[in-house]
Amino acid sequence: MSTKNDVGKRSARERMQEERAREEVAARKKRKLAVILTALVVIAAAVVIGIVVQNGRTSSYNAGTDAPGGTVGNTRLLVPVGGTAAPSTVTIYEDPRCPACEQFETGMRATINQLLAQGKIQIQYHIASFIDRHDGGKGSKNAANALACAQNVGRFHDYHDVLYANQPQETVDAWADRSILISLAKQVPGLDSPGFEACVNNNSYGSWVTAVQSDFDKSGYNSTPTVLLNGTPAYPTYNSQDISPANFTAWVDNANKGKPLASMPSASAEALASPTAHNNPPASASGGHS
Amino acid sequence: MAASIGTAVRIGLAIVWAWAGLAKISDPQAAAQAVRVYRILPEALVKPFGYGLPFLELALALLLLVGLGTRIAAALSAVLLLVYIASIASVWARGISIDCGCFGGGGSVAASQTQYWQEILRDCGFLLLAGWLIRHPRTRLSLDGWLAA
Repeated sequence: MSTKNDVGKRSARERMQEERAREEVAARKKRKLAVILTALVVIAAAVVIGIVVQNGRTSSYNAGTDAPGGTVGNTRLLVPVGGTAAPSTVTIYEDPRCPACEQFETGMRATINQLLAQGKIQIQYHIASFIDRHDGGKGSKNAANALACAQNVGRFHDYHDVLYANQPQETVDAWADRSILISLAKQVPGLDSPGFEACVNNNSYGSWVTAVQSDFDKSGYNSTPTVLLNGTPAYPTYNSQDISPANFTAWVDNANKGKPLASMPSASAEALASPTAHNNPPASASGGHS
Repeated sequence: MAASIGTAVRIGLAIVWAWAGLAKISDPQAAAQAVRVYRILPEALVKPFGYGLPFLELALALLLLVGLGTRIAAALSAVLLLVYIASIASVWARGISIDCGCFGGGGSVAASQTQYWQEILRDCGFLLLAGWLIRHPRTRLSLDGWLAA
């Protein structure tokens, strides 16, 4: 009788202990699950918030209102130079801070300006600004914006040449200081004005500059200068011939065989042919940035 | 002893993720381009990944720093690192020249400027840290420890 009772008591106690242990295990499991769920929620929330915030931070670009006057292309990201009737199109992707672009400009500027003046080519410039990412700084973006400001008043090409002639070393971000860009503008007759200075200082074409770079990012071309002659890469080689003033002229003449040349306003042509200065005809499409 | 080493490993990995994440958030356009140049994802996914990955890294940094869900955070870290290593290896194998953009930057570089070996070895080192924490998730000075007490 008594032993039976003892067994009953003990087993009751054991049962209670087992029960408690089971509960503890269950509680620990629950806690672990809660921690894992919390961690996953933290991660998911961070990612979602991050994507939304970064989306909001990327400036939206509206081709109708944000592009400088006279730009072309279906989203107006290209700066045209030269007569639009010219038989050959030279597409040039350049970053204002890119030293290889400066070398290309120094070596080829006279040739290109001559071809422009003869109505043999038109140029479409893509002003990229990715060097700021690689080397840090703001010089490329500031200079690209200043070039857009110059484009808006029909002085893009002259100012473009002045910038390359005065390019700082790649690692020196001199153009982070916008006043230097403004003082360089004084070398282009008729460019510097209170409106131009405000445009440079207020980064008025910032969203256009971002859109042009974004377009370059997606282009598949991954370095500057990228030069295309009628869509075929022409830098540093074209059909395995090295680029040079003589070769480039020959390539253009070859491509233009049998096609009528564009006529340019004679004043513009004269200015282009002179080695020191030339004028981009004032942008015909007025309005642009509002 | 393992718990003390674990704390150092946990904080170390947290610093790695925080550094990697913070370096990528200032310029969303550059972060998207860093993803795009791998030529793995379709264009529609480039921006979500470019914008989202830095925040995934920051979330892992936060969890590891406070020691909440150390094992799951370490496991996700390991998965992410394996994805990174595989992506770099894939780019390398396809002969594309890029900067991995692991700690900001990224984008195309000249063929002579690639550092695929170093980038993969570095990520393998981080993978060891994550592996340690998966094996020994109990560390000192952690929320996990505080919740279990």
